[in-house]
Amino acid sequence: MVMWIAVTVVKLLIYFAILMLFVAYGTLAERKVAGHIQDRLGPYHCGPHGVLQPLADGLKLFFKEDIVASEADKFLYFLAPALAVVPPLLVLGIIPIGESITIAGKTIPLPIANINVAVLYFLGVTSLSVYAIMLGGWSGNSKYPLLGGLRSAAQFISYELVLGLSIIGVVMLVGSFNLVDIVKYQKDMWLFIKQPVAFVAYMVAAIAELNRAPFDLPEAESELVGGYHTEYSSMKFALFFLGEYANMVVSSAIATALFLGGWYAPCSFLSFIPGPVWFLLKTFALFFFMLWIRWTYPRLRYDQLMGMCWKYLIPITLFNILGTGLVVILKAGGV
Amino acid sequence: MVGPLLKGLKITFSHLFKPAFTVKYPYEKIEVAPRWRGKHVLRVDEEGREKCCYCGLCEAVCPANAIRIYGEEAPLEKSDVGKIAVIYEIDYRRCIFCGYCEEACPRGAIELTTFYELAEPEREKLLQTKETLLEKR
Ligand code: SF4
Ligand code: SF4
Repeated sequence: MVMWIAVTVVKLLIYFAILMLFVAYGTLAERKVAGHIQDRLGPYHCGPHGVLQPLADGLKLFFKEDIVASEADKFLYFLAPALAVVPPLLVLGIIPIGESITIAGKTIPLPIANINVAVLYFLGVTSLSVYAIMLGGWSGNSKYPLLGGLRSAAQFISYELVLGLSIIGVVMLVGSFNLVDIVKYQKDMWLFIKQPVAFVAYMVAAIAELNRAPFDLPEAESELVGGYHTEYSSMKFALFFLGEYANMVVSSAIATALFLGGWYAPCSFLSFIPGPVWFLLKTFALFFFMLWIRWTYPRLRYDQLMGMCWKYLIPITLFNILGTGLVVILKAGGV
Repeated sequence: MVGPLLKGLKITFSHLFKPAFTVKYPYEKIEVAPRWRGKHVLRVDEEGREKCCYCGLCEAVCPANAIRIYGEEAPLEKSDVGKIAVIYEIDYRRCIFCGYCEEACPRGAIELTTFYELAEPEREKLLQTKETLLEKR
C-alpha cells in the first residue's frame, strides 16, 4: 500500500513536470510558429534562439504589480484564476502515456489512474473550466470581461455537445470508456482512419472549447480588450494563461489517445522507440496543429460560430453516430 | 468550403520555412537612406568658422518650436559675417524631424544627418546644445 502511494506520488510529480515543461515551451512554440509563419523570427535573444524566453516571461510576471480592481468581488476574483488551472491538472490523471513499465521486476502501470469511465471523467472535468472564465469575467465588475465571460459560456455549452457526440463514435466502436482499452483497440489501425469525421469534429470542438483562434471570441482583442482576463494582472493573469495552455496540452493528449493510437508507433518497424515518446510526439503534433490553425484563420463572427456548431457540427456528428452504429450492428451480424 | 481552408493551411505552412525578414537590430543594422532625417549637425566652413549667422529662420520655421537660439556679434575670425549664435538648442523632446530647419537655412548651416540612435535614459539629456550639435573638425 505504502509502495503504491509512493509510486503514485512520483508519477504525479513526473507528469506534472512534463505538463509544466510542455506548457512553458508551448508558449515559446506558439510565438516561434507565429513568427515564422509571418516571416519573422519570434523570440530570439534570451538564450540561443530564445530557449530561455519562458523563464524570463515567468520571472517578469512574478514581479509585475498585482492590481486588484477596486469594485471587484474579491472572493471570486481570487478564486477564478485558481479554477482555471485545476481542470487540466485533474485530466492529467487519466492520460494513458504508455501501458506499463517494468522497474526492478515490478510492473508499474503508466497512467496515474486507469479508471473505466475515463472519457466521461474527461468530459465532466474539462467542462469545469468554463467556471473560471465566467467567474473571472463576472468578478472584475467591468463590462468587457463580463461580455467575454458570457460569450464563453454560450460557446462552451454548445461545443461541449459536439465534443461529447464526436467521442461517442469512438466509444461505440471500442465498447469501452476506458482510455487504455481505447488505445489498445488501435494497435493495428488508428481510430482516426475509421472515424475521420469524429476526429475533425473533435479537433474543431476542442479548439472552440479552448477559446483559441479562430474561435477566440471570449477574448477577441479588437472588440473586448482582453476579454475575461482584462482586469487581471501579474500572476493571476499568468494562471489563466497557464490554464489555457495546459488545457491545450491535455486536449491534444486525449485526442492522441482517442484517435491517433496513443502510445503505438505509426508502423511496426518504428516500435523500438518507447511508447511514451510516441505519445508525447503525437501530442506535440496536435499541439502544433492548433498553433498552425491559430495563425492561419481569421476570427469567426459570433453568429457564424454558433451557426457552425448547431447547423453543421451537431448534425454531422449525429449522422456519424448513426453510421457507426449501423456498421457496428452489421459487423456483429445483427438485425 | 474545405478546399480554401486547406489552401490557407498550405500557405502558412510554406511560410514556416521561408527565411525571416527580421533584422536582429542591436547586432545588425540596416543602411538608412542618404536623405534620412536624423540628428542635427551645425556645419562649420573650411576655416573652422561656424556657418550659422543667427538669422533666426530655422527658429521661425520650426513647426514644433524645438529650436531656441540667441546670437551676438562676433569678430571676423569667428564668423565671416560678424554674427554667431551663442546659444543654439534643439529640444529632442519636441523635434519631429521634419527637416524644415535644414530647408529654411540660407547658409546650409544646419543639416540633418543619418544618425538615428537618439534614445536617452533621462529626458534632460534630450536637450541638444551647441556642444553636442557643432560639427567636429
Ligand atoms: S527638424 Fe523640424 S522640428 Fe526638428 S528642429 Fe528642425 S524644423 Fe524643428
Ligand atoms: S537658419 Fe541657418 S543661419 Fe539662420 S539661424 Fe538657423 S542655422 Fe543659423
